[in-house]
Amino acid sequence: MRMVRRCAVAAATASLGLLGACSLDLQNPNSPTQEQVTTSVDGVIGLATGLQGRFAQSYGNFGYMAGLVTDEFTATSAALISISDAEQGAVPSGTAISDNVFNSVYRTVRTADDLLTGAAALADQIDPGTLSGMRALAYALKAESLGEALQSYQQIPIKTFNITAPSYVPRSEALPYVRALLDSALTEITATPPSAFFNNSVLTPGVNLPNVIQLFRARYARMANDDAKALEAADLVGRTGPTALSLLTFPAPAVNFYANVTGGPNGIAPRQQYRTSMAPQDQRFTYFVVPSSGLTGRIGAPLDPWNRYANPQAPLLVYFPDEALLIKAEALANQGQLAPAQAVLDSVRTDCTGGRGIDDPKACLPPLAAQLSQDELLTEIYTQRKYELLGTGLRWEDSRRRNAIIGPTASPGIPTSGQRCWLPYAVGDRNANPNVPADPSEPSTFPTGCPL
Amino acid sequence: MAHTLVRYAARCIALALVFLPTVVVAQATTGTVRGRVVDAAGGRGLPDAQVSIEGTRLGALSGANGDFTIAAVPTGPHNVVVRRIGYAPATKLVAVTTDGATTGDIALTASALNLTEVVVTGSAAPTEKRKIGTSVASVDSTLIGRAEAVTVDQALQGKVAGAQITQNSGGPGGGGISVRLRGTNSFISGSDPLYIVDGVIVDNGSAQLADLGIRSNPQNRLADINPDDIDRVEVIRGAAAAALYGSRANNGVVQIFTKKGTLGKPRFGLTARLSSNELREEQPFNFYPYNENGLPVQRFNYQPDIFHRAYGQEYNLTVDGGNEATRYYISGNVLDEDGIMRSTSSRRTGGRVNLQQQLASKLIGNVTANYITTENQMQAFGEQNDYGIMGSLFFAPTNVDFRPVNGVYPLPPSLGTNPLLAIDKIRNPQTIERFIGSAKATYTPITNLLLDYTIGIDNVGFEQRQFVPRNAVLGTAPIATGRAQSVFQNTRVINQDGVGSYTWDPMGAFELRTTAGFNFTSQHIRTTSATANGLAPVGELVSAGSVFNAAQNEVELRTLGFYAQQEVDWRNKLFVTAAVRYDASSTFAPSERWQAFPKFSASYVVRENQPGLFNNLRLRSALGWAGSQPGVVNAYSQYITYANQNFAGRPGFANDITFGNPDLHNERAREWEVGAEVGLAHTRVGLEATYYNRLVDDLLFFRPLATSSGFSRQFAPIGSMSNKGVELMLRTLNVDQRNFQWSSTVSYTHNKNLVESLDIQDFQSAGGYPNRIRTGYPAGVFYGSYAARDCATGALLLDSLGRYRRSNQTVDMGATLAQRQAISGGTCNDSLNKIIGDPNPNWMGSFFNEFTIFRKLHVRALLDGVFGNQIMNLSTRAQNAGIASNSKTYERELLPYGDPRKLPPGYNARTQGIFEYWIEDGTFIKLRELSASYTLDMPAVRRVFRDGVDLTVSGRNLVVWTNYSGYDPEINLFGTNAGGIGSVQTTAADRGFDFGGYPIPRTWSFSARFTY
Repeated sequence: MRMVRRCAVAAATASLGLLGACSLDLQNPNSPTQEQVTTSVDGVIGLATGLQGRFAQSYGNFGYMAGLVTDEFTATSAALISISDAEQGAVPSGTAISDNVFNSVYRTVRTADDLLTGAAALADQIDPGTLSGMRALAYALKAESLGEALQSYQQIPIKTFNITAPSYVPRSEALPYVRALLDSALTEITATPPSAFFNNSVLTPGVNLPNVIQLFRARYARMANDDAKALEAADLVGRTGPTALSLLTFPAPAVNFYANVTGGPNGIAPRQQYRTSMAPQDQRFTYFVVPSSGLTGRIGAPLDPWNRYANPQAPLLVYFPDEALLIKAEALANQGQLAPAQAVLDSVRTDCTGGRGIDDPKACLPPLAAQLSQDELLTEIYTQRKYELLGTGLRWEDSRRRNAIIGPTASPGIPTSGQRCWLPYAVGDRNANPNVPADPSEPSTFPTGCPL
Repeated sequence: MAHTLVRYAARCIALALVFLPTVVVAQATTGTVRGRVVDAAGGRGLPDAQVSIEGTRLGALSGANGDFTIAAVPTGPHNVVVRRIGYAPATKLVAVTTDGATTGDIALTASALNLTEVVVTGSAAPTEKRKIGTSVASVDSTLIGRAEAVTVDQALQGKVAGAQITQNSGGPGGGGISVRLRGTNSFISGSDPLYIVDGVIVDNGSAQLADLGIRSNPQNRLADINPDDIDRVEVIRGAAAAALYGSRANNGVVQIFTKKGTLGKPRFGLTARLSSNELREEQPFNFYPYNENGLPVQRFNYQPDIFHRAYGQEYNLTVDGGNEATRYYISGNVLDEDGIMRSTSSRRTGGRVNLQQQLASKLIGNVTANYITTENQMQAFGEQNDYGIMGSLFFAPTNVDFRPVNGVYPLPPSLGTNPLLAIDKIRNPQTIERFIGSAKATYTPITNLLLDYTIGIDNVGFEQRQFVPRNAVLGTAPIATGRAQSVFQNTRVINQDGVGSYTWDPMGAFELRTTAGFNFTSQHIRTTSATANGLAPVGELVSAGSVFNAAQNEVELRTLGFYAQQEVDWRNKLFVTAAVRYDASSTFAPSERWQAFPKFSASYVVRENQPGLFNNLRLRSALGWAGSQPGVVNAYSQYITYANQNFAGRPGFANDITFGNPDLHNERAREWEVGAEVGLAHTRVGLEATYYNRLVDDLLFFRPLATSSGFSRQFAPIGSMSNKGVELMLRTLNVDQRNFQWSSTVSYTHNKNLVESLDIQDFQSAGGYPNRIRTGYPAGVFYGSYAARDCATGALLLDSLGRYRRSNQTVDMGATLAQRQAISGGTCNDSLNKIIGDPNPNWMGSFFNEFTIFRKLHVRALLDGVFGNQIMNLSTRAQNAGIASNSKTYERELLPYGDPRKLPPGYNARTQGIFEYWIEDGTFIKLRELSASYTLDMPAVRRVFRDGVDLTVSGRNLVVWTNYSGYDPEINLFGTNAGGIGSVQTTAADRGFDFGGYPIPRTWSFSARFTY
């Protein structure tokens, strides 16, 4: 009997021993861990792809939102009230419209910071040309994302990496930071040209990084009213040949941002006024929309359905090439070089089928008849930017610069430029960050510029 | 060393082989005890009574006529103890010789109070209820079998105090049922208790592997278990009782025991049931024959095209029997029923073998094996508005003729699909192949020591397919090109339990029992899906597509726990128990993983079976801790992970916006309960009362992170929540005559839930729905826009056309606060939104009556109800939406001016934006069960069928008394799913939303049971 007891005890002990061997430390087979991604070369290269994906998303969010609060877009069959509110200039705090740009921009920034950190840690395992390319890419996309944020919010955080409660800074501090990031990007690729591996296997096929960096430099130099730098950079943006377009591509099953929202509950389409307000000969609408006669949006605004993004796989341009020309024209006009400015502007107006051989909007207008004054030139540049840069979000900042914020335009009224100054700060940040400033109050008299 | 171990093991095995049989031989001086258990009032034999020889582990269940046989009883005097649910226990002394002994008839007297029943759930080893400091509910096979329900959780409705058992949808095969014990106790882990079948932890998931309405809960997997196989169900309701189940027991435990077979010759049973299901009541729609412009228009009622009278059939074939060494129960089951929504059906076929074998004199083996195939044909409902039938019904204007023209089904103008098309063409078949099996060894090496080891497996293979043909859905989304999908999910739960229990020799007035054990559970879920869009005109499989998507996911959860328990009995009157479980789960961070869950309980029997009017009184109290762990969706929340962020056809990564929590630990519930049982009037009145107070700390949910950091949230402790309540159960034996018996059971449950504290902002727990988790309010209160009122008079503020003013619309209330206050005449409408209702009931109750007339006719009626809760009727709101305009109130907008019922134009457009408007009283009383069964037992019948033939006519959900205007006040969009993320975030707190639910049918059935 004692033996029986001893055997029972032994059996119990053995089964407990077996249990002890069952590990409770299980790895997640579905997602890689931080360590797996940031400490391997393959992982860091994956981050560079992820960064471009996130950039496409935040860029789309910015263009979408800015188009609604200006005169570009109208909600189609939206079930969501916040979208038709936004097209009338109302953006309540806490809506997707007010939060999505912010949240997606800072996700892009986080991935750029991850990429910079990972690339630095693995610098000795990556060839110099690939390293410089990835660093330049991270700087450039981080800069452009922060630039989109500062075109949407009165103040923005600029230092966020591994910080629980980032501080907000005004544009006077944020804009130089953005420009410095772009200069760092330029320094990287100037010092060590990106490797073929970077250009062919890391960078999205169809994107020319030097051109993108120069265009962004010109864009933010212009925003900072640094005409000399804007001119210099705009001249360095290639305008012919296959590198003149930088395309984000969406091979199936991926879907272009605008195509993704078309038809869904977040659907938008260009307002018909985009087409009908053009000069009669202007052909640029054919690039973007299919003319319609009776189509209206959710709350009755006449619209034209997309042509450009009807195909879900249509590429998204990182920038429209003629933006460089328009920046150049504006810088020249600001400097009082009116004739050269008008010449550059005419080159945009007269861009026609065949043109520079690239697939971008083509006005096919005649050149301006007579030399315009500086004010007239700046107004004409503003107009040309409206038709050339649809959906890029730049229209909003243009309205601010031109003191053309017209305030909320309730339907059936039709807005003619930007309808508000800023978005409310993201509730997602406010809920966990005590440093978020109070939402800026909107101006009460219009038209106006915006306090920076 | 290793050599020694092997030799030692070999000796043990040899000993087991050689020594045990000799033990059998050693005990030669035994006899067999025979007898019969009868009902003291009726004199009829009572089956299923537990007969045992006191002081031994020998025992048997009485057979159909009450007969029992217990073999191998040592010679000498013995007390034979008989226990049966619903009766007071009885004891008879017999002297056993080698020739055996006969007890004769042992008569049991019906009792409204049963404290000697032995339960095992929550107490580590079999224990009488009177010794346990918590209340344990048990429901026996009679109550389950006669409910004529198709699933066990359905059969439990109205029978357990403290349990809110809700049928969230009315689909075939039982619908989606959620069980909530003592309120909402967690946001993440679902409200459902831990389910154990014969010692096997089973999966009760309600995963939708394809989009059938996201949160509509068409079926939960408990539906696979055949209620006819169930012997009894034990329910323990909270932390105090469930501490021994550790970090999974916060929501209570439901343990199901299947039939074991009774002693005697093989007994065959066949039950056949035919049922008829129908829509209880059609909803009113807009059938006004004129449109907005006063022009005549033809309108259609689609409900007869969508719903029909649906028939079902069920067959159970059983054979059971056994002898001294072996008992067996074998069953086969087919359930085949159509849903009242055309084209939906459920078919369950299953077989079970339960076998118990005396392997040696001190070793008993038990094996259970249950194989089930469930094949469902579902249709989407609830939130699915693209191809869901209910959504299409509620959103379609009534002036659309959906009948196909030349084979083409017209689509509705703006939302949903053609319901006739969906019924004819859209298919969502599910196939579930499931095996639940267990092996258990019970070893009593010495009289005082009991060792139990159980290993169990629940393996569920689940395939969900979907076929949506081309051009069946509005719009340009990929699904409009057709979709074929196949998703395979395998869920495997393996658990091992070992427990040893040692009863010490009495020490004076004290008796002690020490118990220790372990439990190891592993749950492994693997999912693979393939989806195709762009379907060819012919073909319903993924291979018919042209654009493909695939996905794969794998989750594993392991839990390991050890426990120990000490019980002390004093003079068989006072019972004190202390126990602790030490528990770890793989889902938690290693540093936080091991947690201790103690419990303490005391039971004091003040009076026991005293004669006269005051017969029994027992007082009890218990304090215990339990936990809950994240479910499958958040199983890996402790890790900081990166997500796939592919771009331009290349694989890439980006940080997961949910930041990992390397310090993740479990939710922790502390519960205290106190209660009493009282037996009065010759134990014809039994009252059970319990008060409980539970506080759950460290509730897990998503804590927001500053989005400027690139993250959005982190799974972390966010606050605490309490549930306090009272449970009463009153059972009375009103009449107990030979030819007429009448008993009643009344239950009352009151629970008050309160969010005690939150470390984060108030939040909307049901993604996309107007509800809130807010400190100081019950979880899941409705929160949203309301109709502004005059601050002085409280009267509704109307605009010049007589329409409501929406609290959150500047058009109605002005743009500034000053304008709002001027319109309101005060500050009462300052907030845009407010708390507008509460889906939690004030109380729930049931009233059950059972009559036995001339010992052959049994009539049973169960009423149950939920009181004081509110429902947000989003189905009718959908009907009122501009694109639908098919409600009765919309009809009133079309009436000519001058008609007193005329509503101003835009009236319904306004109410769309007022969520308060859609709140309705959800109080209801249901005639849940009504049945009459008659036993044909004339000699001619009994010559063929040993126990006669039972014929039963029964009904479920026959009548509903309610002011709720929708199909059914029990329907709920959110059922058991919880812990979802993103826009489909769902928590266990989300209740009371009626949105396109599958109506619960009224069911009539006829069954016949034959035994021979």
